Amino acid sequence: MAIIERPVTTQGVEIAPPATPSRAQGGFKRPVSTTGWKSWLFTVDHKKLGIMYGVMAMFFFILGGLEAVLIRLQLAAPNGKVLSASVYNQMFTMHATTMVFLFVMPMAAAFANYFIPLQIGARDVAFPRMNAFGFWCILGAGIFINLSWFFGGAADGGWFMYAPNSGPIFSPSHGVDFWALGLQIAGIASLTGAINLIVTVLNMRAPGMSLMKMPVFTWLQLVVQFLLLFAVPVITVALFLLSFQRNFGATFFDVSAGADPLLWQHLFWIFGHPEVYILVLPSFGIISEVLPVFSKKPLFGYPFVVFSGAAIGFVGWGVWAHHMFASGLGPVSVAVFSISTMAIAIPTGVKIVNWTLTLWGGKLRFTAAMHFAIGLIVLFTIGGLSGVTHSVAPSDTQQTDTYYIVAHFHYVLFGGAVFGLFSGFYYWWPKVFGKTLNEKLGKANFWFMVIGMNMTFGPMHILGLQGQPRRMYQWTEARAGEGFFNLAFWNQIASIGSLILTLGIFLFIVNVIKTARSKERAPLDPWDARTLEWMTSSPPKEHNFDVIPTVHHLDEFFHRKYEQDPVTHEYKQIATAEEIMADQEAHADKHIHMPSPSYWPIVLAATLPVIMIGVIYSIPVAIVGGIFLVLAMFGWALEPSTAPETDFDPPASEESTKELSPLV
Amino acid sequence: MSTKIRRIVAGVSGLAATAFLAGCAKDAPQDTWQPKGTNAKTIDDLQQPVFAIAGVIGVIVTCAVVYCIIKFRDRGQAMPEQTHGKPALEIGMTILPALILAGVGVFTFRTVFDLSKTSDTQMVVNVTGQQWWWEYDYPAQPELGITQPIITSGQMIIPVGTKVLLRETSRDVIHSYWIPALNGKRDAVPGRVHTLRLDADEPGIYAGQCTEFCGLSHANMRMETVALSKEDFAAWVANQLTNAKSPAEKTLAKEGEGVFLNQCVRCHQVNGLKKADGTPAIAAPDENVWAGAAPNLTHLMSRNTFAGAAFDLLSQKCRADVWGASSETVGKKYLAGVTEECLNQTDLRRWLRNAPAMKPMYADPAKLTSTNGKYRGMPNLGLTEDDIDKLVAYLSTLK
Repeated sequence: MAIIERPVTTQGVEIAPPATPSRAQGGFKRPVSTTGWKSWLFTVDHKKLGIMYGVMAMFFFILGGLEAVLIRLQLAAPNGKVLSASVYNQMFTMHATTMVFLFVMPMAAAFANYFIPLQIGARDVAFPRMNAFGFWCILGAGIFINLSWFFGGAADGGWFMYAPNSGPIFSPSHGVDFWALGLQIAGIASLTGAINLIVTVLNMRAPGMSLMKMPVFTWLQLVVQFLLLFAVPVITVALFLLSFQRNFGATFFDVSAGADPLLWQHLFWIFGHPEVYILVLPSFGIISEVLPVFSKKPLFGYPFVVFSGAAIGFVGWGVWAHHMFASGLGPVSVAVFSISTMAIAIPTGVKIVNWTLTLWGGKLRFTAAMHFAIGLIVLFTIGGLSGVTHSVAPSDTQQTDTYYIVAHFHYVLFGGAVFGLFSGFYYWWPKVFGKTLNEKLGKANFWFMVIGMNMTFGPMHILGLQGQPRRMYQWTEARAGEGFFNLAFWNQIASIGSLILTLGIFLFIVNVIKTARSKERAPLDPWDARTLEWMTSSPPKEHNFDVIPTVHHLDEFFHRKYEQDPVTHEYKQIATAEEIMADQEAHADKHIHMPSPSYWPIVLAATLPVIMIGVIYSIPVAIVGGIFLVLAMFGWALEPSTAPETDFDPPASEESTKELSPLV
Repeated sequence: MSTKIRRIVAGVSGLAATAFLAGCAKDAPQDTWQPKGTNAKTIDDLQQPVFAIAGVIGVIVTCAVVYCIIKFRDRGQAMPEQTHGKPALEIGMTILPALILAGVGVFTFRTVFDLSKTSDTQMVVNVTGQQWWWEYDYPAQPELGITQPIITSGQMIIPVGTKVLLRETSRDVIHSYWIPALNGKRDAVPGRVHTLRLDADEPGIYAGQCTEFCGLSHANMRMETVALSKEDFAAWVANQLTNAKSPAEKTLAKEGEGVFLNQCVRCHQVNGLKKADGTPAIAAPDENVWAGAAPNLTHLMSRNTFAGAAFDLLSQKCRADVWGASSETVGKKYLAGVTEECLNQTDLRRWLRNAPAMKPMYADPAKLTSTNGKYRGMPNLGLTEDDIDKLVAYLSTLK
C-alpha cells in the first residue's frame, strides 16, 4: 500500500482505536471521522470518492440532458422561438461541454475509482489524497463553468471553440473565459486521476495477477488513463493560448497579427480525437465484464480485446485531422488521415466481433445490465459504420458539419459510452450499495432509452444527408423539401424521440429512489460473477478485502467457484461466494493500514476556482488565490499522520514479495 | 421459402422502393445524394458503395446478435465451454475488414487527388465569407466576357458545364462554402485561400448553407449557386458590367436615392451613384463594419435573395415560379430579376425598418466595445416609413 496510516478493525480482528492526531505542522490536525458529512468531505477512500464522482456526474447528466431537450424543442418546428440565437448557441456549447467533461468523463472516473482497486485486489489507490483532490477539482470545474450562465452568458463558440470565433472580438461575453479556465481545472483532475490510476494498476495488483490476468475493464481503463495523460496537456496548451488571447491581449489566433486559425484546430483535435476513445473505452470495458458474466463464458479472445484496446490507444493519435477534411489541409494530409481513420476501424471492429462471439454458444441471461450491453454492441456498430463512411474524405466533405455527424457521434457516444455506463449501473449497483436495482424497471428503462435514442438520433442521419447543417438555431421551411425525407417531419420525430429518451432516464432515477427505499439486501454474488470485486462484501469494507487474494487465473473468482471435471470436462460448483467470503474472514489480515482522511485535497482544490475568477475579473484576487494554493501545497506536504511511528516500518520480507506482481 | 411468401416479399420491397424513390424525387434542395455536377458525382460514385458495404455489415452484425439472443438464451443448458477464443478466427476477422478498407482506401486516395486538381480550371471566382453573407468577386476574364471585375453577393452565377474554381477566404471568422448538389464543402479561413472546384451539368438554382459555425446568425448565412446557359451567363455578365442609372427627377425613387446617399452609402456601394455635387459616392464599410465590407447593391434586383440569402426578394408566388422552373426556362426567368409585382415588399420593408430584429446581429450601438464601435451586421437605421417607401422605390431601380 502506498500511504499506510490508520489501523482499522475488521470482524474477527483485534480492535485498535484510531490514534488521536496530535501533530499539526500542516496547519490542521488530521481528521479521523468515519461517519457523517465530514467522512465524505475529507475522505480519501476510493469507494466514497467513486460514489461522489458518480453523483456529481449524474447531476450534470441531467443538466446536460435538459439542455438537449431545449435544443430539440427549439428545432421541433421551423423558425423555432423557444430560444434566441444567442441562448441557443450557448445551449449547444454547454450541452456538449457538460456531457463530455462533466458527465461521461467523471462517470467513467467513478467506475475507475471504485472498481479498479477492487478488480486488482488492492485496498485503495496509490495516492489517495490526490484521488480526493481530483474529485474536488472536477466538481469545482463543473460549478465554475456553469457559473457563467449567471455572469453574462455561457460560452457560445461550440465545444470545439474554433478560433477566431472564440476570440474576445467575436465572443465578447465572459462565457468563453469561464469555459477555458474551468476546463483547465477539469484537466488537472484528469491528469492527477490518470497518474494515480496508472501507478495503482502497475504497482498494486494482487499477488499473481500478471497484466494478462487483469480484468478487461481495468485494462481498458488503463489505456484510457494513458490517453488522458498525453491528451490533456495538449488541450491545456490550447486553452492557455486561448485564455492569454482573451484575457491578456495575446495574438495566437489573431489573423491580422499573422496567426493561422488552423493552429487551434490541430491542437484541439489532437486532444479531441483521443478524447473520443477516452469517453468510449471505459464503456467497452464495462460491457466486456457484463457480457461474459451473463453469457457464462469468458470474454472471447481476451488478448485480442486487450491488444485492440491498446492499438486504439496508439492509432487514436494519428487520426485527428479527419475532423478537418473541409478545413483546407490539402490533398496529401487529407488522403493520409483518411487512410489512418480507416485503419482505426479495424481494432474497433475486432471488439465488436469478440463481443458477439462471447454471446455465441453461451448461456445468456437477459438482465437489465445485459440489455444495455447488447444494446451497445448494435448501436455502437451503427455509429462505427457511419464513422467509416466519413473516413472516406470526399464523402465526409458532404457530411461534415451536418446532422449526419450529430447522428454518428450520438450513436457512438450515447449508444456506446452511455449505454455502457448504464450497463455498469445495473451490473455493479448491488456491489456499491448492497441492493439490486429493480430489474423490471431496468428493462423498461432500457426500452425507453433504446427507442428514444433511435428516434432522436436515427432521423438525424436523414436530416444530415438531406443537407441540414448542425449548430443552426433555426431551420427554414424553404430548405426543408417535400416527400418522405422532408426535414420538417424528421425534425419532429427527433424531438419526440428526445422526450421518450428523457422518460427513459426518468425511469432510471425512479429506480434509484425505489431501490434506495427498499429494505431488500442484494445477495453476495447476485450475477454469478467472475472477477475479484465480487469476492468481498457488498458494499465492500473500507479496506476492500480481509485478505489480499492470490490470483492464479484470469477470472479468478469464477475459478474459485467452479472446477472442471477432468473426465467429463463439465464445470461443477465447488464453492459458493458465501463460503469463499467466510474463508476470507477467517483468515483476515491481522493488521490493516488504511490512509487517514485529509482536509487538504478540498482546500487545495478550492483555491483553483478563486485563481480563475481572479484571472477573469481582477488579478489581485488571482494572486491571493495563488498564495493560498502555495500554502495549501505546503500544508499537504507537511500533513502529519495519525498512526504511530512503528506502523511505518518496512514491510516484512514475506509481505514484500507479495507487493509486486510479475507483469506477465 | 414458398413462392407465395416470396411474391409478398417482392411486392412489399418493390412498393417500399417506389415509395423511397418517389420520396427522393422532390427532396430537400440540399440533398447530398442528388449530385448535379461532376464533382458531386465523383463523390457520390465513391460514397454509394461505401454506404452499401456499411449497410450490409451493419445487417450482418445485427443478425448475428439477434441470432445469439434467440439461440443461446439460458434454457437451463449446461455451463458452456470456457473457451478463451480461437486465434485463427480472430486473425481472420481482423484481416477481412482490413482488406475491405484497403479497397475503399485506394479509391478514396484517387478521388481526394482528383477533387483537388486546379489545372483544368476554366473560370475563377473569389469567394469571401464574413458575418453573415458571402461576397463573390469575379476577376476580369475577357474570354468569358468579364472585361471588368464584377462584385456581387448572396447568389453566385456560373455558366453551365464550366469548371469553376472558387478561391475562398474570409474577413472575420471561419465560414464554409457548401452547395451539396455541386460539391462537398470547403472552409473559408481568414488569412488563407482555399480552392474548391464547382460545376453544374444543367441550368438551375442550387441551394447551400454556411456549414462552419460562425457565430450568432450562422443559421441565417445561406447562399445559392445559379447555373445559367452560356448565352444567359453572357447576358448576366453584360448587365453586371453596367453602372446604376440615377432615377428620373421628381420621382419617389429619386427621393429614395437621397435617402440612400444619406444613410446606406456609408456601407453599401452602388456603382455609378453620384453625390449631389456630382462626385462619385464611395462606400466606406471599413469605417463602420468589423469585416470591412457590405454587399454591393448595384444590381440588387438581379438577385432574388437578400441579407446573406436569408430572405427572398421575390414574393412567394414568383419565387416558386423561378425556383421550380425547368432547366430550359430557369435562365430566362432568373434573368428577368425582381420586377415591381414580384418584389417581396413585406420582408424588404421589415429589414429596412429594423434589420437586427429579423436576423440576429451584433448591431446594438451600445454593445460594440469589443469591436471599437464597429458593427457586425446591419444596425437599425431608424428610418421613417416615409424614408422606407422612398428607399424601396429606389432599390427597385437597381436591376
